[in-house]
Amino acid sequence: MRNMSDTAGRGMWLLTGAAAIIWMLPLIFAVLVSFRPQAEPVSIGNIFFGSRITLDNYAAAWNIAPWGWHYVNSILFVVGVLTVQIVTVTMAGYAFARLRFAGRGLLLVLILLQLMIPTAALLAQNFATIRTLGLYDTRWALMMPYWGSAFGVLLMRQTFRGVPLEFEEAARIDGASWWQIMRSVYIPLAFPAYIAFALVSISSHWNEFLWPFIVTRTEEVRPLTVGLNKLYSTTELGALYGQLMAGTLMVIAPLVVLFMLFQRRFLESFASSGLK
Amino acid sequence: MKPALRHPPLFKKEPPMQDTALTASKAVSLPWSRRLLRIAFPYLLIAPTLILVFIFTLYPAANAVIDSLYSIPRNAREAPVFVGLGNYADLFNPDHFIGATFTMVVGNTLFFAITSVLFSVPMSLGFALLLNQRMPLLGVWRFGIFYPALLPLIGAASIWAFLFSDTVGLINTVLRSLGGTPVNWLGDPNLVLISVTLVNIWKQAGYYMIFYLAGLQNIPRELYEAAALDGAHGWGMFSSITLPLLRRTTLFVLVVNFIFAFQTVEQLQALGQGNPGDRGTLLLYLIFKTIPERRNWGYVNAMTVILVLLLLSFTVANFFLFERGREDADA
Repeated sequence: MRNMSDTAGRGMWLLTGAAAIIWMLPLIFAVLVSFRPQAEPVSIGNIFFGSRITLDNYAAAWNIAPWGWHYVNSILFVVGVLTVQIVTVTMAGYAFARLRFAGRGLLLVLILLQLMIPTAALLAQNFATIRTLGLYDTRWALMMPYWGSAFGVLLMRQTFRGVPLEFEEAARIDGASWWQIMRSVYIPLAFPAYIAFALVSISSHWNEFLWPFIVTRTEEVRPLTVGLNKLYSTTELGALYGQLMAGTLMVIAPLVVLFMLFQRRFLESFASSGLK
Repeated sequence: MKPALRHPPLFKKEPPMQDTALTASKAVSLPWSRRLLRIAFPYLLIAPTLILVFIFTLYPAANAVIDSLYSIPRNAREAPVFVGLGNYADLFNPDHFIGATFTMVVGNTLFFAITSVLFSVPMSLGFALLLNQRMPLLGVWRFGIFYPALLPLIGAASIWAFLFSDTVGLINTVLRSLGGTPVNWLGDPNLVLISVTLVNIWKQAGYYMIFYLAGLQNIPRELYEAAALDGAHGWGMFSSITLPLLRRTTLFVLVVNFIFAFQTVEQLQALGQGNPGDRGTLLLYLIFKTIPERRNWGYVNAMTVILVLLLLSFTVANFFLFERGREDADA
């Protein structure tokens, strides 16, 4: 890292700022249009807000879909996926990190196949499975395919291996059970890895669209992204972009705010994720 | 400087397994029920993951292969007819209704993937080089480049649907005010795929940037200092130190970017839904659109198998590239 004291540095700063602002233009205009009266195209009135600032678009967008339910469902979806994932990846991660058993390598490869054959590609067959299980149009259908995570298993395995074996042995001599060892040694030491995993899991499932769209029908069990799709199809024909932008911002706001608060954590987590 | 960001390679060379306390030989003196539990314990721990992977990855993948060999008869009550590789033959037959669409869509997907990689990889490297400096407002600029990666595809696409809109869209408004002719970004069959690719480049560049940021921070400062003593600067340093040491990152980003491009289709829902005439459709989206057509179930599965085979071959290539890259680095 060089200091920004010379002219070259100032030039770099301008270039960076320009690139970032160009990249932010879509978001900036989405915000501006969402507060602009619907009837005024961008070319009329004050370039930034038109003739006045209004919340009408937000009110109109709010009335198009049951957003309250969509928020509840998105939260249940990401929390329901993450909670079960934490349990499954902790268990399997520990087994692969610290236990010896017949077929260990083969079983790990079987699990890693999930990284090579992404769930998204198996949309059609998984849809058929969900119907067979009688889970179509339920919140369980959204979550279940994501409960097992090969990426998480790999991450926890690597993390647990970094824990000195002496810690476990010392606890064992003190008579600690497996669960006590997990609770007092492994899980606290793996905390940063859990945070990284949680951020990647939450942000990818919060944004998930095709799968929830295909396995649900009732609006009351659908997440935000599906609500946004409905908003899109009802406003697009009439070119009601103010409403569409208002609704889009309502959907993306939670993650964007979360990112602003924990920018560094997010970037580190994503950098260590490679594959979701 | 301590590296703040790091991305471990997916497949790490493993240290030899150590014996753990749990496999200690004193187990012999335990009653048989405890011994059984001790043997079963690891399997119980991995069972949930294994069962879930079986139900939602292995079983559907195998079932897709089987279903792709059958055709659903016109009368849906009759049993599916075994057609061998007939569905695949139809997919690659340009005179068949599904073949005409499928071959075009595979072409679209390859264009989308290759163009995305060609543009977003150099851009992400450029962004990383810029953002790897200490500067005022760094957090804001970093947010500005990275936030698209956090948006749901359908949300990003909704915003771009407004920017692209034919009549009131921002881009055309700007074009008109500059005296240019407005362009039908999503309605022109020759443009729609380019517009879709453009959105993808905008969205993914920030994501790949963080891998380059991590790679840059892993380069030891001393290398630059030594090179500076030798009189190197600017481009010389970049081409002799930065680029070669980012080789593995670049390889990683290239392959991951390419693999992701085959799964990134949700944006199409708000960017013309593949229209006009499937000129903007991508492979996974075609599968998604064909699922409700019961009679085409065989084609849906044949397309799924092809998609899975493509993804598998990239992942395997990724694995070998990485292993080789590691050996080079270790040597």
